[in-house]
Amino acid sequence: MNKKIQWTLWAAGLALIIFYPHVFGAYYANFLVGIAIFALYASSFNLLLGYTGLLSFGHAMFFGTGAYGTALALTHIDGLPLIPAILIGIFSAMVLAICIAPIVVRVGGAAFAMVHLAFGQLMFMMALKLRHVTGGEDGIGGFPTPPLSVPGVFSLDMKDSTLFFYFAMAVIVGSLFLMRFLIKTPFGQVIVGIRDNANRINYAGFRVPHSKAFMYVVSAAFAGIAGSVYVLFQNLISAYDAYHIMVHFMPVIMVMVGGVGTFIGPVLGAVIFGVLEEVVTYYTHNVGVVYGVILIFVIIYMPLGLAGFLNTIRMRLSAIWMKSADKSSA
Amino acid sequence: MNILEVKDLSHDFKGLKVLTDITFEVEKGVRHAIIGPNGAGKTTLFNIITGTYKPRSGHVYFKGMDITRAEPYKIQRLGMGRSFQITSTFDRLTVFENVRLPVLSRKGIRFNVFRDVDKLDEVTKEVDEILKKVNLHTDRNTPAKMLSYGKNRSLEITMALAGNPDLIMLDEPTSGMSVDETHYAVSLIKQLTEGKTAVIIEHDMDVVFSFADRITVLHHGVILATGNPRDIRANPEVQAAYLGALEMET
Repeated sequence: MNKKIQWTLWAAGLALIIFYPHVFGAYYANFLVGIAIFALYASSFNLLLGYTGLLSFGHAMFFGTGAYGTALALTHIDGLPLIPAILIGIFSAMVLAICIAPIVVRVGGAAFAMVHLAFGQLMFMMALKLRHVTGGEDGIGGFPTPPLSVPGVFSLDMKDSTLFFYFAMAVIVGSLFLMRFLIKTPFGQVIVGIRDNANRINYAGFRVPHSKAFMYVVSAAFAGIAGSVYVLFQNLISAYDAYHIMVHFMPVIMVMVGGVGTFIGPVLGAVIFGVLEEVVTYYTHNVGVVYGVILIFVIIYMPLGLAGFLNTIRMRLSAIWMKSADKSSA
Repeated sequence: MNILEVKDLSHDFKGLKVLTDITFEVEKGVRHAIIGPNGAGKTTLFNIITGTYKPRSGHVYFKGMDITRAEPYKIQRLGMGRSFQITSTFDRLTVFENVRLPVLSRKGIRFNVFRDVDKLDEVTKEVDEILKKVNLHTDRNTPAKMLSYGKNRSLEITMALAGNPDLIMLDEPTSGMSVDETHYAVSLIKQLTEGKTAVIIEHDMDVVFSFADRITVLHHGVILATGNPRDIRANPEVQAAYLGALEMET
């Protein structure tokens, strides 16, 4: 793609974000924030599944812990500003990941997935039972949402849905591009190599467990950001919102449907399921049935997900285009 | 000077003796072949030297350092590179990216999360030079899994050499190649290992005798003989154990 088109697209994207809440109103601004949070959450999961080759059934551990970290900090620390509250959320998720990493980076495949299922359920039960800390089923809410401010310079009220929309979008889009960049660094190359052939990476002189552990913690940190923004957005977090089995599986489904190991895949997945939920709930409460049917359809007919499917079409089209160009030049 | 020394190495798999008191040295600048019939223990020996297995007893010294129980990545960083008998490339990465990884490793660019890897011009230039030298530059942007078998084997060997190791360990580099491909691979290996130290396991006798400066013959986990190709060819024990057996097979 040439530079001009690229810049035009960037400008169009930026303009869309700026005008979106004014054109569509608060309801659809919130709707998009909800989707964007899950796009970030699914993308953090994609770092593991798509780039490191690790399937986890417990990624909500980090999403939920990020959310609880921020919520508890805002509840218990008076006058805590916004950014430190988010940092505490990220930090909580990272600490949890650092504790688990030494165990899980030495296993792969089914064992990795099942260990995460176990840890994830453990976190769920703990959040349910430790009621005096987490609020159990009811959760904790009603904590203050601090403004985004630099003392004496400016202060933006985060309870204003338009301002929060801008803030959330900046954090989420920024995070998405950080992750994209990470894959393009030398470290990212090693990670992708581990996905394809960990043994060879070892024989190329890279330390496999350390690299995996680092990526694991990074992935947890981004899931923590998603959780943290989620809890600021909802002003409520309960054991069910944080660690329920559906929260563990959402990113798996989103990434598979959107396209594993692509930048755009998890975003597409989050958009598809976000829009679906909105539409389907008009007709039925059994959203899961629709999710299931779509997942089956995608796995059978588009094993590379929607992003892979679109890519195949693009390649076919360009092949046809090149053929006709050949003919016309001949 | 000896770059590699193997001393009294013994190994068994659950009581089954695979190697018994293996002792040999590899001199710097020499192409050293390890031959022997199937099941002689060649690959096991190879895997112990490169760090895949830890032996029951004995020691491996590389550049005078004891590497008997070192991890593969550490041995590699000391300057030993290896290829695999069963092609072991990065499927979904392009040829260029496959070769770039060992080059990055040699340059010590391992945990860098601040630079765009495509903008490391020095690395890019070097990888492109290597690809040109081994005739893979026409497939620069092809994913490894789309390559023909022969080309994938070439890539495998190129990756072992791209780290510019002081000692190159090649595990049956021509295994499964057609006659033409073998010819090409052998000339390539000869050219690329010129003046370097290499240990090569090989089945194909023509390859071994056209290539090696020194040969160690392994049979039932014991060293039968070590010497230059002429002596080995003339050695009656070796003939009985290996060369004769081969002739009988064919």
